[in-house]
Amino acid sequence: MKLRKLLGMAALATTLAGPAALQAQTVEEFYSGKTVNLYIGYSVGGGYDTYARLLAAHIGKHIPGNPDVVPINMPGAGSLRLMNWLAEAAPKDGTAFGAVARAVPFEPLLGNEAASFDAKEMNFIGNINAETSLCAVNADTGITSVDQMKEQEVMMGGTGAASDPNQQSNILNEALGTKMRIIDGYPGGNDIVLAMERGEVSGRCGWSWSTIQATRADWVTDGTVNLLLQIARKPHPDLPDVPLASDLAETPQAKSLISFIVAPQEMGRPYVAPPGVPEDRVRALRDAFDATMEDPDFLAAAKETGVSITPSTGAELKEIVEEVYAADPETVERVIQIVR
Amino acid sequence: MLDAATDAFFQIAQFHRLLFLVGGVVLGLVIGILPGVGGLAGMALLLPFTFQLDPISAFAFLLGLAAVTSTGDTIPAVVFGVPGTQASQATVLDGHAMAKKGEAGRALSAAYVSSMIGGVVGAFFLALSIPVLRPVMLYIGSPELLACAVFGISLVSILSGNSALKGLAAAGFGIMLSMIGADPQTGDMRWTLGSIYLYDGLPLMPVALGLFALPELCDFAIQRVAISRADPQSTRKGMAQGARDALRNIRLVMQCASLGTVVGSIPGLGTAVVDWFAYGFAARTIKGARETFGRGDVRGVIAPESANNATTSGALIPTVAFGVPGSASMAILLGAFLIHGLVPGPQMLTSNLDVTYSMIWSIALANIFGAGICFALSGQLAKLATLRYTLIMPTVLSIVYLGAFQGNRDWGDLYALLAFGVLGWVMKCLRWPRPPMMLGFVLGAIIERYMFISTMRYSWEWLLRPVVLVVLVGAAIIILQPIVAAFLRRRRTVGPAQSYSPGLRLTDLFAGLMIVLVGVMVSMATSFQDGARLGPMIVGCFTFVALILVLADQVMHRLPKDTELSVENAEEALKGHMDLVSSHDGLSPGTVVLRGAIFFGWMLGFMALMALIGLIPTAFVFIIAYMRLENREPWKLVLPIALGATLFIFVVFHVLLAIPWPPTLLGTLLPWAKAFPSV
Repeated sequence: MKLRKLLGMAALATTLAGPAALQAQTVEEFYSGKTVNLYIGYSVGGGYDTYARLLAAHIGKHIPGNPDVVPINMPGAGSLRLMNWLAEAAPKDGTAFGAVARAVPFEPLLGNEAASFDAKEMNFIGNINAETSLCAVNADTGITSVDQMKEQEVMMGGTGAASDPNQQSNILNEALGTKMRIIDGYPGGNDIVLAMERGEVSGRCGWSWSTIQATRADWVTDGTVNLLLQIARKPHPDLPDVPLASDLAETPQAKSLISFIVAPQEMGRPYVAPPGVPEDRVRALRDAFDATMEDPDFLAAAKETGVSITPSTGAELKEIVEEVYAADPETVERVIQIVR
Repeated sequence: MLDAATDAFFQIAQFHRLLFLVGGVVLGLVIGILPGVGGLAGMALLLPFTFQLDPISAFAFLLGLAAVTSTGDTIPAVVFGVPGTQASQATVLDGHAMAKKGEAGRALSAAYVSSMIGGVVGAFFLALSIPVLRPVMLYIGSPELLACAVFGISLVSILSGNSALKGLAAAGFGIMLSMIGADPQTGDMRWTLGSIYLYDGLPLMPVALGLFALPELCDFAIQRVAISRADPQSTRKGMAQGARDALRNIRLVMQCASLGTVVGSIPGLGTAVVDWFAYGFAARTIKGARETFGRGDVRGVIAPESANNATTSGALIPTVAFGVPGSASMAILLGAFLIHGLVPGPQMLTSNLDVTYSMIWSIALANIFGAGICFALSGQLAKLATLRYTLIMPTVLSIVYLGAFQGNRDWGDLYALLAFGVLGWVMKCLRWPRPPMMLGFVLGAIIERYMFISTMRYSWEWLLRPVVLVVLVGAAIIILQPIVAAFLRRRRTVGPAQSYSPGLRLTDLFAGLMIVLVGVMVSMATSFQDGARLGPMIVGCFTFVALILVLADQVMHRLPKDTELSVENAEEALKGHMDLVSSHDGLSPGTVVLRGAIFFGWMLGFMALMALIGLIPTAFVFIIAYMRLENREPWKLVLPIALGATLFIFVVFHVLLAIPWPPTLLGTLLPWAKAFPSV
């Protein structure tokens, strides 16, 4: 602890000595010849990693001064470690930003004591793909609508209290009165899908449409599973007939509960820079991000990799976060009770 | 099916694809040799390069790498007693014991031949089982996974050797360690002490390197001689003998290879335990193994090595057939699948069968190439065991440090390495078997997870499923048979009554400390949330009782000092101890403790320096300091070794693995110094 304090003081001293020199520099001058590190809160191979590496390969040429952008994995605690690190220890000069889990910005609000950052202070750079999450059940259950789920208990797979499948099932049970029973503890989403296939559970929530398309598209076309509802702000263009969770909410309270599971989907694949980065550099990173999202090379590479791109801007992400944090304390308390 | 298999062979046998395969193999061997850097890191590194390749070349490249890491990892396991990956922990026991006897060449060559056969047999099984793969796998649900993990835990009774109580206590403690972190259901933090590092639980590699590698290196430093003290066998003779050993035990090789394929196909088990499964299996089935295992029996090398190469094929099964990765490196392969537009599932066994077969061929060929390359090199590698300790030790230790660090890239990795290093060394010195602890550590979390799912889904009726019944009965036999046999033996031979002189010794302190630690952990567990409390409480109380029994047994059944020191008694006590034994010949306990303290002092110094100036410069300074201060090595040896090792570390860990280095004092005080890597 002492050492950390000492380090902190030393860092403070150096930043105090520097601002005059920093201000004289343009963004381009600052970034030229530099390396920007894109930290990834997960180990190699998963979805967040794939997206981040794709971004790292293309964003450099859109940042003034064309710095090298190097992807670096810093896994731990479902990217909570990275978010804490970005808030507390990362360089605040614009040479570091990170890919974190879509739900991580809301952890402090939901009472996770290990989350030691202030989400509203973070500089959101952008999101590559707003997600659409689905609840689906095996067709052999005979369930084809959410109304049936209110009558009949269904066993749904879960991957731990804080994960999408659990939070969505739990919130929907409360908000819509469905009777999903969570069989909890599967190591990952793929394992739930396998458990569905062998009939151990009947369905799952928190299943991204992009994942379904990449891995189980045939189940949808041949009617092995029924897609019951989607969790997103607006219906996915591919899924006009699957009802939106928020449209099914009958009371304002139910609606505000559901907004807690919709917000992370909108965050999608978010990129975050530390608090305190000079404003002009944040702007430069955001502009570079937006430009990358329209870069034909980037889009071609995304197509080749098989990932979908529905971006939103850093400003939009900031808005979502502020909206969720503005929820009334009673609802927040309620959500905490349901999901923890 | 046969058509698809031959088609696939001709596809893979094209020159450029073979080139990729061999490239993957060479990288895989290097990665296997580096302790702590496993197939996972290697495949992660290669994945981006495979985007441009055709699918068959891409999989040849990736699988070539994955298939042979457990061939390369044998080298440090045998020569230095440092497992190269998690799959070669068990190889250390007998392999390193053989190296100490001057049989490093024989051990290595036996390992390669069994690795090769094991790998090819695994691929063959996979190829044969393709038609029945999906139906069989669909039959394996959570209860069956649970039963397999319970079966694994039952091997503790074999791996504890003749110290059953200590083994049980160690296994229980291992299970408790596996429960550290966010509970998989409630998300409650168990025993994390407020640290975010422990959120995901203790990572495997720092624990394995701490428990097995550091104690060997520490004893190496205490002895202050070369690893191999006996006259080395003529290498060529040793290698020929090793190959013969493997062929003579072909039955064992086949059995362990099948075991490896099956264990590999169960997600969550895989390479972390397969070597112990095979080792336990061999110890259980081979006549007389109780007396020779752990003391340089070549069969103790053959069993784990033939099993761990077969796991790659096994792990491919759920990955290809269901899209559920059978291991961490298979998760990366899954990424490659999607990038190449392949969807895991039934199509891989029908319309894309040729791709699946080309993967199987890749694994088989990689095993042959990998073993061939290693075989050609093992003569030179075996000579490493005859070098002075100051020449090898600092480099190996630096790489162990970096290997442990690269997993989570966190200071916590180094603290864990050091803590488990001390624990492992004490356990080794006091003859507490370490394998049961490792088994408990790997299987504990799996058992808790699937116990929860199984009882929630099926209540107690999961016990009635036929596969579960068969496996659990098997586990019961493994546990009960030695107990019954010992009981019968005792009834038959009524020897002269032993006279004991109960009393406390300084060494009882360790059992005492463990009791306190486990007691504290249990009392902490009382405040966990409902769902998160049950497992830790049950295992904790069990471990607590086992430890008290160990202490009571030690104190009450203490032999009078003169009988304990007699040679026959010492020999007798060694029989059936399934672990390496510290042999501090001719050194007084005071010297041993002093030199042990110096060793761990070096490690502390390493970490302090790392906080000051960064990991890579530290490795350089550490190598020089160790060689100069411990043994006054001449500068003309010191400098090339230090420079070469540092450059190697720089390329592998900084350039290739792109590790984010933690901030250092120097870098914070003098920002320009950050231009140096890792500062």
